[in-house]
Amino acid sequence: MRRLPAEREIAPGVEGGERAELRRLMVRLADGDRAAFRPAFALLWPRLRAFAARCVAAADAEDVAQAALLRVFSRASEYDAERDALAWALGIAAWECRTLRRTRQRRREDHVAPPDPPDPGENPEEMVIARDLSAAAEAVLGTLRPIDIETITAAAGSRKLRGATFRKRLSRALARLRIAWRARHGSR
Amino acid sequence: MAAGEPDPRLEARARRAYELGRLRAALRLAPLVLAAAGAAIVCGRPLPMTCALAVALLLLSVGLAYAGGSAGRAVYPGLLAGAAPLAAPLLMATVGHACFGPACASLGLPACILGGSLAGVVIARTTARRDADLPFVLGALAVAALTGALGCTIAGAAGVLGMLAGVVVGGAPVLAAARR
Repeated sequence: MRRLPAEREIAPGVEGGERAELRRLMVRLADGDRAAFRPAFALLWPRLRAFAARCVAAADAEDVAQAALLRVFSRASEYDAERDALAWALGIAAWECRTLRRTRQRRREDHVAPPDPPDPGENPEEMVIARDLSAAAEAVLGTLRPIDIETITAAAGSRKLRGATFRKRLSRALARLRIAWRARHGSR
Repeated sequence: MAAGEPDPRLEARARRAYELGRLRAALRLAPLVLAAAGAAIVCGRPLPMTCALAVALLLLSVGLAYAGGSAGRAVYPGLLAGAAPLAAPLLMATVGHACFGPACASLGLPACILGGSLAGVVIARTTARRDADLPFVLGALAVAALTGALGCTIAGAAGVLGMLAGVVVGGAPVLAAARR
């Protein structure tokens, strides 16, 4: 499965050990182990900031990342050990991005997401197409519920097959993504 | 502060958000405690004593859940276990058993002992299944004892002591067998 644009930027730094470590830390935090707070904070903050920088304009990225971070820690005691901690946190960050976009839309101050950094290996036409697709995918993803965003980012971040419940949830999330895409862009 | 280094103020805010989130989650237990106290009052338990026990139970449950760890995980099993000694004597009074003076002890006390035994079995089985440690057992016992006391005061101090004895008599063999 192709990774989502923001996940593609963030996942490489969080593969393997760090991802598992974050999960362990979130489990400890959910259990009330305050000693896990600082390392969890140190792991989460750069990822959330990177994610926010990919989802919203640079001027808003810091605020969105901070709001997401506070929400993640506020809900840490609800964290379910079965879930991937990074996908869970990014789902919350995606929700914050969506909230900001909606607020901006309401105020008619909506802005275009920042462009992907140029890849010297691609030709200009491919770059423009990829950039448009990324922006469109992020915009559509932002209209979904946090649980759907979390499911899709979790599936995009890992190639291994998961349980039947997860696959069912993913199937529903993708169906909703398709509907949202069609509603916005027709059948393209 | 170097670029990219986390802001200490942000860390402090995140820590505060974490603590408030834990407190909010712990306060979700309050309706269960209030429901138990409400049931005891509806079944005729004296208001001052029930309120005192309910406040103690609320503080203990919320405090343990907020602190977390083994004792924090014991709160729900403790409340569940305590439901048996809470319900047994109250049901007995509700279905028409006269509960005043010495007549109360004739069925109220056995009901407390039986309910306590059931609570002991529930705590012991949960402890064995989770391979839990001593703080878990103590936390569950304290919560179950206070929950059960809301109902077992119907038989006076003897009812509460009988319930505690029932917890030990019912739970110890199950726990010992599971640990063997």
